[in-house]
Amino acid sequence: MVLPEGLEMKGMQSVDVEIDVNPPQDPVGDSFETANYGVDNGRFLFHVPETAVYSVADGNHIAITPYPAADEAKVRLFLLGTCMGVLLMQRGILPLHGSAVVIDGKVYAIVGESGAGKSTLAAAFARAGYPLMTDDVIAVDLSGDAPLVHSSYPQQKLWEESIEQLGLQDRGYSSIYQRVNKYAVPIRSRFCREALPLAGVVELVKSEEPKLSMQAYNQLEGLHALNVHTYRSSLLHLMNRQQWQFQSIARLASELPVYRLRRPVDGFSAFDLVDSIIRLTTKKEVVNS
Amino acid sequence: MSVDTMASNELFVQSQGYLVSEMNGEKVMLSIENGKYYNLGQIGGRVWELIESPASIQDVVDRLVAEYVIEPEDCQRQVRQFLQQLKAEGLIQAGKE
Repeated sequence: MVLPEGLEMKGMQSVDVEIDVNPPQDPVGDSFETANYGVDNGRFLFHVPETAVYSVADGNHIAITPYPAADEAKVRLFLLGTCMGVLLMQRGILPLHGSAVVIDGKVYAIVGESGAGKSTLAAAFARAGYPLMTDDVIAVDLSGDAPLVHSSYPQQKLWEESIEQLGLQDRGYSSIYQRVNKYAVPIRSRFCREALPLAGVVELVKSEEPKLSMQAYNQLEGLHALNVHTYRSSLLHLMNRQQWQFQSIARLASELPVYRLRRPVDGFSAFDLVDSIIRLTTKKEVVNS
Repeated sequence: MSVDTMASNELFVQSQGYLVSEMNGEKVMLSIENGKYYNLGQIGGRVWELIESPASIQDVVDRLVAEYVIEPEDCQRQVRQFLQQLKAEGLIQAGKE
């Protein structure tokens, strides 16, 4: 299987994750009668009807058995999404759902509900010349002294209106599976490939108020925001990873500032939001109330 | 319910179903069932640790008096109040010896 979302690598690279694609077959039905997820001998299994059965093991091995008539784009969607999230959890790397941008050598994570405007904001950062780390799953490594963010695959998922607003139209991007108005936009040129320290988290929230507002969360509020925006958090209990995740987000919330950025529903310019985040990062000292 | 309803032979133990961590030395908890967050603070967190297995108020007070600079009477009163709160929130279970 070819992954057009991936980065082309030149020269010798060590293999980090092994992905096996088995010959297509209809899965043996019994194991997925009641739920689409399961754990078997430490392997995480999940089933996407009419698409594939995935197995994720040891943080470095994924096996895919597609259905005979499966759409390959959809098979890849779950490989790059849920599979990678589960793989990161198995490795003890905290996955947050959102985008990550690099400002002055440090990473700022942008989290928020679906439709809050994370990807559009990330695209505006890229247009303004700031590198992106990821636009879907933010891989936060807590094994060292300071939290680090690892880079992901260089693609953005953007809605048609965002592409227009950012002046990216007419470039022939391919639409994402079953999302006619959402497009896959490669971001290779402005993509950061090295792990960098995480400096802060911004939760983007749609608001009825007419003005932008930025507010530092207190620690428990920050903890809650990180909990809500942990990627595929509903799978943590299956993998016996709830306590680990809670300790990870508690550490993040006590070491890093977490902000809430409210953006008006109307008259919203992604570039205004970029400015308000840049202002945060240029403050000499940020007080976490 | 008055504080006096807690009999001296009553034993207290942590309830199950909470995720527990620390933020800057303070014990923070999340109820898996209802999604509520708690910050027990530093000494409150120590009390929580002391009732990992069933313990009486006197057991807890004895340990705290040894670890912190506090008068036993004062400590007894505060521990009673605190455990009462934890019990009301369902964070701990109480039972007779």
